This record gives sequence, structure tokens and C-alpha cells, in this order.
Amino acid sequence: MFSLRGLLALSLVLISLANAKSSTGNSVLVVVEPTRQGDFSIFFDGLKGQGYDLTFRAPKDEVPPIIEYDEASFAHVVVLASETKNFAKDITPQSLITLLDLKTNIIVALSTKQTPLTSLAPEFSLILPPPGTPLISYFPKRDEPASVIPISPSKHDATNILSKNLAPIWFSGIPQARGNNPLLIPILHAPSQSFASEVDGGSADALVDSAEKGGEGLWAGSQLGVVTGFQTLGGSRITWLGGADVLSDEFARKEVSKGVASGNTQFARDVAAWTFQESLVLRIDKTEHHRLNETEPQELYTTNDQLVYSIYISKYNAKKSTWEPYSGLKDLQLEFTMLDPHVRTSLPSVAGTPGKYSTSFRAPDRHGVFKFVVDYKRKGWTHLHSSTTVPVVPPRHDEYPRFLSAAWPYYAGAISTSVAFFLFSAIWLAGEVREGTKRSAKSSKVE
Amino acid sequence: MLSILPALLLALSVQASVLTLQSPRLVVTDSTGSQLRSEPLSLSHKVATPVQISGKDTLKVTFQVVDKDGKGVQPHQTFLRFYDEKTNEEGIQPIRVTPGGKAKFDLNLSKPPLSLPPTPNGDPLKVTLLIGSSLYDPLSVELFDLVLPRSQAAPEHPLESTFHPLPEIKHTFRAENKLPPKFISAVAAGVVLAPWAVLLGLWSQVAPKPSRLFSPSILPFILSLGAFEALLFRYWVGLQIGQVLLYGAILTVPTVFAGKQALSSIGNRRLGRK
Amino acid sequence: MPPKTTQASSVTPVNAFQSLYKAYSDNTSDRLKFIDAFLFFLMLSGIVQFAYCILVTNFPYNAFLAGFSSTVGQFVLAASLRSQVNPENKDEFKEVSPERAFADFALGSIVLHFFVYNFLG
Repeated sequence: MFSLRGLLALSLVLISLANAKSSTGNSVLVVVEPTRQGDFSIFFDGLKGQGYDLTFRAPKDEVPPIIEYDEASFAHVVVLASETKNFAKDITPQSLITLLDLKTNIIVALSTKQTPLTSLAPEFSLILPPPGTPLISYFPKRDEPASVIPISPSKHDATNILSKNLAPIWFSGIPQARGNNPLLIPILHAPSQSFASEVDGGSADALVDSAEKGGEGLWAGSQLGVVTGFQTLGGSRITWLGGADVLSDEFARKEVSKGVASGNTQFARDVAAWTFQESLVLRIDKTEHHRLNETEPQELYTTNDQLVYSIYISKYNAKKSTWEPYSGLKDLQLEFTMLDPHVRTSLPSVAGTPGKYSTSFRAPDRHGVFKFVVDYKRKGWTHLHSSTTVPVVPPRHDEYPRFLSAAWPYYAGAISTSVAFFLFSAIWLAGEVREGTKRSAKSSKVE
Repeated sequence: MLSILPALLLALSVQASVLTLQSPRLVVTDSTGSQLRSEPLSLSHKVATPVQISGKDTLKVTFQVVDKDGKGVQPHQTFLRFYDEKTNEEGIQPIRVTPGGKAKFDLNLSKPPLSLPPTPNGDPLKVTLLIGSSLYDPLSVELFDLVLPRSQAAPEHPLESTFHPLPEIKHTFRAENKLPPKFISAVAAGVVLAPWAVLLGLWSQVAPKPSRLFSPSILPFILSLGAFEALLFRYWVGLQIGQVLLYGAILTVPTVFAGKQALSSIGNRRLGRK
Repeated sequence: MPPKTTQASSVTPVNAFQSLYKAYSDNTSDRLKFIDAFLFFLMLSGIVQFAYCILVTNFPYNAFLAGFSSTVGQFVLAASLRSQVNPENKDEFKEVSPERAFADFALGSIVLHFFVYNFLG
């Protein structure tokens, strides 16, 4: 009996250990040169500790395939082979795009070398500096080479993705100029004093010349990113690392100042948590609508009806691997749309009912096919979209107000005509109508 | 030449010496070349009043980068950083420095450099000089605040606005129909009924005498006409159209008979057959 | 001179009106006068409703249409009854007896009132 219990408890523990931390699956393919696999052991062990199943594959290996029979083989893919020029033929920019379409999440590391995957970056509105120009910074004064830069996250970085009070993060790699695509999520910016330069051959005049060429000639300043996320319209996430070293053991262990550990370990954890759909993951559980003071939805609504719309939203809790009702959204909005939104109003959370957001509004006095639309897109968060179609009809002919005082004269007129008609008919029929007598009377009168 | 030195002197960078600026100065001139403003810059504190330039004014910043011995130096990085704290827009402008360390930067608004960030709100830009070199300590000097004429905002992605709360939309309802005072409607209803006085007055003069009102051949028709009117009035008050059509159809049968009888009776009398 | 003309011009229409009325009253049977009174009544109540619509409110418009068109429609029906029973038009409506004319009038009126109450709202 006791042993059975123990076995049960043990199996429960095992299940909870095996439980994916991600909301979309726990299989991870890591594409890394075998010689460098040991350089990222802290990152990999961290992922394993979170419950992920890691599969390693050298860039030139043919197996395991990333896509088999049009199905993604892994829930997440990490490409750390940032300097590899020759990949197996199934790893191409196109196949990575296909992976994103198949809801796979990707972490890609870039380097100063031009690789087949470099050409993928512009598809995500990222413009990379020319090959061989890493980001360097002479600030702050330090012993490390200029291309090894400590970066502190600022308030313009994705503060919802990164942990609070992160220690500076060691970075070495290339910056990315970010386009204004709203699907981009700046995770970590380049320091404002940094710039991309040929590390040992860069001259002062070359920098000025490149800037005078105009446009993207000079990669400099805090508008550049070094780690940038992108969430596709389909909801899959891809994170671009300016260099693989940001995940490396060396940087994780390297102190930023005497006795102060770098933020790299936590940063790697945060980036993986976001990319692998652990954090900032939302879903819509259900929506409902009805008339005020009713509870059941109607097939159709009448113009000017007071409508109530509610939506229930859950957030993924990676610690417990469960979805929990989430009332934390402050700027949810509801649109009531026929071609254009006729009503747009805030959808506040309902106190006392976790995860419920509700609002009430008066249906427009226009009839037609309307939609309740919730379209919530915020940087870093899962995009939420819900659309419910309801027809709005004018009042039925017997639903208009009746016997209005304004119409009394018209009612009087109609009734008066009716009564007069009746009296007229009665007298007409009952009256003497002998043609002869009439004629004679008339003629005698005339004569 | 210089480019090889950093690698060689990397080990020495720990003891790298300090760079400083010699005779840093800013000058603002207008289009005719006359000086509007000319003052020295300081490494320790920034210029108190913001520098404002507009139209065809030219801003000129000059300095010489020297080491602690006063010898001119050409650092790897000599950047002016323009930063708008409110919009987080930033522009980096590299400055050409001669091997002797002399540097000159002209900002001519009729030909503004691409590196200038947009200033849609006319907020002041923080201008910082950044000097970096592998041989010397980095130097960052906040020089002055620069107020530029308002410019267009940075181009925004067409979908950017959907990533933020959108302005609320309220539907404008048609105005409620206003009812006139009940008193006026009541009076008007009375006026509508007033012609009855005229009608009754005139009929009292000319109406035929309803002598056959209770004649069995006439009365049914009159009553059925009255029944029709009553039915229609009742329809207005609250009958469904189906009921009205049903009752109307039923009522039609006796009405047709009564009408035939009444009218033939009247016709016969008129023609003197009875 | 001017006063004279005004006198003359003010008198003549009155005289004309009087003579017209006299001719009407002498030459028209009571039965036709009976219809005419009805027509006059309908005209007055139609005018009052129209004035109310213009001066006060045309809301609810369907009620105005129903009330006003009931008087106009009734007027048209009654006028046609009058022309059909008028002995002077006997040649024109040879086929139509006064009884037949009244049957038409009654049927038309019932149908009219049906629509009126339908629209009255």
C-alpha cells in the first residue's frame, strides 16, 4: 500500500517535471557547431531545468529534419551556428519562415560573418551592417576590448519581457537597425555611445565618410538593437541575437564589476521564456453578449438596444504550466463595427470576476450586420482577436411607440372621417330618393 | 597608420591618458554671416541657455582634441549625439577631425544633415560630444541644448497606431423626436374636430330625412358598414392584420347580401316600381 | 376718383359671389348639397391637419399621412359619387346607376379606411 502510494507520488513528481514550461510544447532543436556546443552549457542546462527536451544537431547534419511531412518536428528551434556558411539543405531562410508559419518559435544568432541566414533579417525589417563590422564602444572605460560591451536595459527596451533590475549584460556581436514595423519588439538596445566599425581597421575618417554617404551608412547609437524580437501575425515568435555570445558561459560567468555577476544568465532565461511562449502569452476563453438586464444572447438586436459584451481572458502561467484568468489588461478596447467602427469603447476588467472584461453600450441607430471586435495588439504580448457577428435590425412595425400625443390631431382626423362616412352613408341610404318627386320638387322650385 | 596602433597599445589602455578639448566654441551666424551668438563651451557644465537656430542660421562648433600634453589627437570616434528625451529619437553625427585634432562641425538648416532627429514638438535636443579611442579614456561632454524649428514627425508604420489604445468613438444618435406640448396637440385635435359644427349645421339644412332608417331592407346594410368601421378602428387599437383580414372576410358575406338588398330596394323605389 | 373705384371693385366681387351662391343654391338638389356639405367638411379637416403638420410637428409622419390622406381620399371618393349621381351627368354615366355608384363609394371608403388605420400607427 505504502509503496503504491510512493509510486504514485513519484509518478506525479515525474509528470510535473516532464510538464512543458512553454504553452506550445517542450521540444527544442538546437543547431550548433559541435565544437561550440560546450560554450553554452549554462543556457542549455537552464532550458533542461525548465523542462525542455533539447535535441542537438550540427548545421550540416541531415537529421533530425526540422520539418517532416509538412509538420514542424520541434516546438522551438535555436540556431546558434552564427558563423556557419554551409547548412544542411533543409535549413534555409525559406524553411525558417515556414517554421514560423507552423507556429514554431525561433532564436537566431547573427555574427559579423555573412551567412545564408543573414539574408533573412531584412524580411523582419532588420537591416544589418556590412560584414566584418561588429558593434564597438569605448564607453565605459574598461579592460575588455571595445567589442565586448556591457549593456544595461533601458526603459525603452521590452521591460515586460526582461526581469526587473537586470545587471548589465555582456554583448559581443553586430547591431541591427530596426525598421518601424510594429511587429518588432526591441528587447535590448545598443548603447548610445556604440557604433559598428571594423574592429581593428576602422579609421576615424572612414566613419565620417560612411555617414556622409547618407542613409544607413553609419550604424551608431541607441536606435540600434542588439537583441530584437518579432512576433508574427500568426503568433509565433522569433528573436534575433546580434551575437551568440550573449548566451555563452563565458559571458554568463564574467563579472560586470568586482563581485557583481553579469545579467546574461537571467537575460538568456528571459529571452527564451518570451520566445518559447512562456511569458506574455494570452488567450481568449470565451466571449458573450446580451441585452442589458438579460443573460441570454439574442439572434439579433434592435437599434438603440443597450448591449452588454463580455470577454474572458486567460494568461499562461509558466511556473504552474496552467492558464489562469487574467484581469491585468488595462487598455482593452471593444469595437462595434459595420465596415467602420461605429462605437469604440474601453473594455475594463470586472472586479470580482477574474479574467472577465465587460462593457455596456447603446447599439447605434443604424441597422445592418455588425461585429463585436476585440483586437488587442501590444508589443510583446500575444495578439488577441475576436469577432462576433450580430445583425442589428430596426424595430418591428409593432415595436414603435404608439398613441403619441403629437399625433392626436391626426388620430382625430382619421376617426372623424370614419364617423362622418358612416353618418353620411346612413343618411344617404335612409333618405327618400324618389327620382320623380325630386325632379318635380326641383322643377317646381325653378319654375 | 593609426589603425594599427590600437591593437599594439591595447595592453596599455589601462593606463591610457585623458583627452581634453582645447578652445571649444560655438558660433551661431545668420544668413548674412553676421554673428548672433558666440561663446566658449565648457567640459564641466553645459551652456545655460539653449541654443536656438532657425531659418538660414548656421551653427558652428569648433574645438581641438588634445592629450594631456597639449598635443593634437585624432580619436577613432568623435560623434555629436542629438537626443530628444521625450520622443527617444536620437541622431548621431560623426565629426571629421584632422590628424592635428582640429574639429569643425557646421549645422546649416537649409541643408540639414540626415542624422538630425525629427523634432515634431520643438523640444530641445540634448547635444553631447562623444569621443572614444582605444588609446585614451572615453570622453562624453554634454555641450548644450539645441532648439530646432518644428519638423515633421518620424514616419510611422501605418499599423503602428493599432498597437496602442485607439481614440474612443461615440456614435452620434439622431436627435430624439421632440413632442410638442400635450396642450397644443389637444387643442389642434379639437380644431380638427371643429368642422363637425359646420357639417352638422349644413346637414341640418339640406340632409334628406332618414325616413327609412329602420326599414328592414336598409338597416342591415347600414349596420354592416358601421361594423366594418368599428372593425377597422379596433384594428388600429390593437388587432393583428391576420385577424382583421379574417373578420373582414367573414363580415363581407353579410355585407354584400345586405348591400344588394338595400341598394336594389332603393333602386326600385327610385324607379317607382314599388 | 380713387375712392369710387375702390368702392366699385369691392362691391362687384361680393355681388358676383352672392349671385354665384344664389345660382348654386337654386339649381342644386338637396341631395347634391348634402354631398357638398360632406366635401366641405372633409376639406376643412384636411386643411387643419395640414396646418398642424406645417406649424407644429410632422412627427409621427406616418400618422400625418394617414390622417391627411383619409380626408383627401374620402374627398375624392365623395366627389366621384357626386359626379355620378348628378342628374346633369346622366348621359356621361349611362351605365352607372346611383346605387351602383354608392356601392363603389362604400367599397372604396372601406378599403381606404383599412389603409388609413394601417398607417395611423
